[in-house]
Amino acid sequence: MPVHTRRSDDGETLIIAIQGRFDFSTHQAFRDAYEKNGSGVRRWVVDMSDTTYLDSSALGMLLLLRDHAGGDDADIVIENCNSDVRRILTISNFEQLFSIR
Amino acid sequence: MSNVGHARALRLLIADDSRTDRLILQAMLRRQGHEVRATSNGQEAVELFASWRPDMVLLDVMMPRMDGMEAARRIKAMAGEILVPVIFLTSLSDAGALAQCLESGGDDFLPKPYNSVIIEAKLGAFDRMRRMHETLTGQRDHIRERNQQLVREQETARRVFDNIAHTGCLDAPNIRFHASPMSVFNGDILFACPRPAGGMHLLVGDFTGHGLPAAIGALPVAEIFYGMTSKGFSGGDVLRELNQKLVRILPTGMFCCAFFVEVDFRRGMLRVWNGGLPDGFLVRSDGEKEALASRHLPLGVLKPERFAAPMVEYGARPGDQLLLVTDGVLEATNSEGCPYGEERLAAILAQETGNRSLSDVVLEEVGAFIGDAKGTDDLTILSLCMTEQDPVVGRAVVVSQSALTGPGHWACSYEVENGTLGTFNPLPLLLHVCMAVSGLRQHSGEIYTILSELYTNALEHGILGLPSAWKISPEGFSRYYAEREKRLAAVEGHAIRFELSHRLGSTGGRLIIRCIDTGPGFDTGKILKQADDTGTVRYAGRGIELIRELSSALSYSKQGNQAEVVYDWQLADSGSGTAPV
Amino acid sequence: MNNKPHLDEEALAELRDVMEDEFGILIQTYISDSRERIQALHQALSDNDQDAFAKTAHSFKGSSINIGAARLGDLCLEAEKAGREGRLDDVRKLLPELESEFATVRHLMEDSLLA
Repeated sequence: MPVHTRRSDDGETLIIAIQGRFDFSTHQAFRDAYEKNGSGVRRWVVDMSDTTYLDSSALGMLLLLRDHAGGDDADIVIENCNSDVRRILTISNFEQLFSIR
Repeated sequence: MSNVGHARALRLLIADDSRTDRLILQAMLRRQGHEVRATSNGQEAVELFASWRPDMVLLDVMMPRMDGMEAARRIKAMAGEILVPVIFLTSLSDAGALAQCLESGGDDFLPKPYNSVIIEAKLGAFDRMRRMHETLTGQRDHIRERNQQLVREQETARRVFDNIAHTGCLDAPNIRFHASPMSVFNGDILFACPRPAGGMHLLVGDFTGHGLPAAIGALPVAEIFYGMTSKGFSGGDVLRELNQKLVRILPTGMFCCAFFVEVDFRRGMLRVWNGGLPDGFLVRSDGEKEALASRHLPLGVLKPERFAAPMVEYGARPGDQLLLVTDGVLEATNSEGCPYGEERLAAILAQETGNRSLSDVVLEEVGAFIGDAKGTDDLTILSLCMTEQDPVVGRAVVVSQSALTGPGHWACSYEVENGTLGTFNPLPLLLHVCMAVSGLRQHSGEIYTILSELYTNALEHGILGLPSAWKISPEGFSRYYAEREKRLAAVEGHAIRFELSHRLGSTGGRLIIRCIDTGPGFDTGKILKQADDTGTVRYAGRGIELIRELSSALSYSKQGNQAEVVYDWQLADSGSGTAPV
Repeated sequence: MNNKPHLDEEALAELRDVMEDEFGILIQTYISDSRERIQALHQALSDNDQDAFAKTAHSFKGSSINIGAARLGDLCLEAEKAGREGRLDDVRKLLPELESEFATVRHLMEDSLLA
């Protein structure tokens, strides 16, 4: 599984880590990650430490997560992006929708 | 003991020259429920196969009149794509001879003495294999057929798409582009449309996803883009409408990265908006290069109330080129799996002397990089060269009806007040009213320009009191527009009124446009005199000069806050130069 | 040296079960086929046609194994090999042995048919 999840100690933050390529093939796993492990979560962290690549369908998946997490009120952090991943997020101006660290 | 329930009944062909063996095998197979035919030589086996088409064949190796191996070869050839298992009946013990049997097309052996249990198991296994093969070839044929159907459907869909998203003015002499004919199914779109007041809008877009969903999303984009642009809406208006429409129709997670450009040849100006596409480039004729980076979220992401479409303005001189590309260019990979990337693109642009179209240069370079011409199918590239003359002037509207139909005699008045001045553009509406007169349609560009210049003067100078002299320097330019925003927001107790009236004659008509603002007015004599000073470069009064060029008469009221334009039009073939009214 | 039975009773019982009414026909067919083959072996020997000899012995072997005459099957295999390798002395020695074994098998079969 290229997508792993864990909870923070207080259980309110769901950390979703994606390994390797984040593209359409990850679609179901990514969706399951927040839909099946989501009860009581208030904050989401997408950990890109091990993400090598991101395509536009992954951007779409992030938007789906954002919707799931409350749309404009969503508290989502995308962290540890490598420069390629960061570049894609920047071109698409996703800083306006997510907090990217 | 061997009668272990009947599997599926198969049609089985046996060839064996030994009557004893034939009798035994035949009896065993019939008891298992199969339909059996037997012959004593290879020749007859081949003939029987052709006429009876059994499911499987059991062959003795050594037979008179064509041995088992030759019969196996012919039967396999006749079966073609259908899997007909061939099993050799043998008491051969020599490994080499057994191997030869398989090489001739045999699938297995059945040793003597025959054993019912083994026979049943083998036939069962081969029947499963045979059926699986049948299913697979059936599915393969089905997929092949569906795929052909899909390709046909896509071609039809593309023709429909082309009718809506026609190429617009992509054929203008100053535009070069590369896009696969089926690019809409890759999610790429490429549109260009002349504006009624001159100049054009360009849109390069890239939908998330591929195939039908992307193509469906592209349809409203084309309709809005062409529809609104030819009605005279500004780039910002078109972008807002596109975004609103896409947010409404696209599922979350699907959106359209887009690069929008408003080109104004007359003023030598480009206004750009990049939401999610790779950097565009403005390459000056002297080689200087500016990257036009994405500063916005793609279309279809933000709700209308959060969407903003501020465009960045660039001055551009004849010979300057604009280059726009989609992801496909940066992601094109060579045989080593290495993507083309931004660095290579930047390096190519740095070397370019500007003699050739950048679209051609980039296409050539990327093609050479990936080393396979077919790979360029996914690339969408557009370059535009700034020109002295508007290359598409007068192409905005196609007149097809008789010029003298439609309303001939009418008048109307339309007033925009206070806050609405800053948020609503009344020009498309007014143009629409005028375009009801068929004969005016071929003059839509001129009329739009007149309306637009009158409105801008009334708003910016008449009501907001902005000094056009500021627009001399780039700093002043920004100051001018910053101040415009500020003053617009604070407008109170002001309005602009248009009064339009039209009379139709036998060979043409006269349109009178009056524009009245509530501002303090201005010294018309000074401004009009300034506009008369031809030969010197002026930064103010160009609008007035333009209106005078386009119309039969321009006059101002004493206070300067009421302008009247008389616009006479003639039927193209009437030959008369006099006003018809 | 060959401990295989002249006629495998179990195999024969199975054939009787499989063939049902045709069991008699099968036995008769085997006996008449075998007679023809023995004749053909003699003919091949006198024609000095070792290929024909080996082929006939091969077919004889197959049907003998199938019918449960295991020892006769082994003799046929030896005759087939000897024929193929051109060992004429062995062939001449094997042929009478083969005939005598067939006679035994035939008697046992006829007994079995009467039973």
